Amino acid sequence: MALEPIPPLGSDPLANRRRLRAVDGASSGVARDEEQLMAAVARGDQAAFGELYDRVGGTVHGVVRKVVRDPSQSEEVTQEVMTEVWRTAVRFDPDKGSVRTWILTMAHRRAIDRVRSEQSSRDRTERVGHRDQVRPFDEVAEEVEVRFEHGQVRDALSSLTGLQREAVELAYYQGYTYREVSELLDTPLGTIKTRMRDGLIRLRDAMGVTT
Amino acid sequence: MTDRPDIHTLTGAYAVDALPDDERDVFEHHLMVCDACAQEVAELQATAALLGAASYEAPPPGLRDRVMAEIDGIRQERPVGVADASDELGAQRGRTSRFRADWVTNLAVAAAAVLIVAVAGLSVTIANLNADLNERAAQAEAASQVADVLAAADVTVVSVEGPEGGLGRIVASPTRGEAVFVADDMAQAPHEHTYELWVIDEQGATPAGLFDTDDRGRATRIVTGDFANAAAIGVTVEPAGGSPEPTTEPVMVFELG
Repeated sequence: MALEPIPPLGSDPLANRRRLRAVDGASSGVARDEEQLMAAVARGDQAAFGELYDRVGGTVHGVVRKVVRDPSQSEEVTQEVMTEVWRTAVRFDPDKGSVRTWILTMAHRRAIDRVRSEQSSRDRTERVGHRDQVRPFDEVAEEVEVRFEHGQVRDALSSLTGLQREAVELAYYQGYTYREVSELLDTPLGTIKTRMRDGLIRLRDAMGVTT
Repeated sequence: MTDRPDIHTLTGAYAVDALPDDERDVFEHHLMVCDACAQEVAELQATAALLGAASYEAPPPGLRDRVMAEIDGIRQERPVGVADASDELGAQRGRTSRFRADWVTNLAVAAAAVLIVAVAGLSVTIANLNADLNERAAQAEAASQVADVLAAADVTVVSVEGPEGGLGRIVASPTRGEAVFVADDMAQAPHEHTYELWVIDEQGATPAGLFDTDDRGRATRIVTGDFANAAAIGVTVEPAGGSPEPTTEPVMVFELG
């Protein structure tokens, strides 16, 4: 049975909420199904893996593309992530979070690792030093806002202070280290670390995330 | 400013993958022994995944077929608990907090007393077990200090490869005057020997603590002593119990900026 890929967040708030609930692993039918799929994948069921790919592949690729940007490299990373899901499926523990959290955490980390290995630390320092080469923050924020229109995530993001939001978004969507974010925003390192944490905590509470 | 920062501060940067590689590795050491941080990281990663969940983009056509073909040739990992029970036990011990580790040690001592009565021949094994548990407790304490140092605003990390593979790192905060040594994949010291840390300045080498690596080649050790004027931190292999002065060539030397 082929499943439709999950569409991007659209203008239907109810549909958006349903999807977001599925993501955070609350007791929705979708999340239960994905757990069952993962259990089957861990037992070597390739058909179950195909179904899982159809469910999460588009979101994995979306996260990877945001961070890596280059289309052909993004494709490689998405492939790496999905094969890693297959190889390490037995490590997934439903007590520690949802299937999507597990896979998207892996996808983001792989994407970040790819970006870091592509650019020597010197390149990145130079890049940080020249703000004009950096994609303007407003552009990213706008893109994110369009995606989240009417969505729960957008509401949650708008509850952050400007600095919390910039720190979280520059790290998550652009893949900067906290040191680079500190340079970009001309704000002390300790403050950036703190804003990343309290920004995420506020998002967590606003969206009712539990594990 | 951030003289005594909250050690939990790094959970946020970790959850969005914003820690540089070195600091990320060291923080992961800390996560193995700090349940509070591990729980918070799990929640913040779930939150970050929600940010990612909005980033849908249809994968390129043909990718599904390539992935399906690739996994057909990939052997999956086996369940850890079944494949290697001792590994699992090690992971559980590693996760205990310092308080619980003490408690575990006390229980182990009581259990040891019973067992010695029952099977006298096992006493040597049990003594080794107790030594191991005490070591774990010390490591848990060191790990929380590691997190303190890591959370400092001016943390620096110096990495050096060992002679037979493995990686050593010094994580230092000049403002706090503290440094931590962290090892990965480092061979255990030879029989009846130990590793010793040295603070090296113009006066020479001063003992700065002993350590040995666990069965996975890991170690975490606070560097003791005053290294405000130190030029380097060194590691040597010494006879068990350590030496007042280095008796061998260093296996690692960390030059401090």
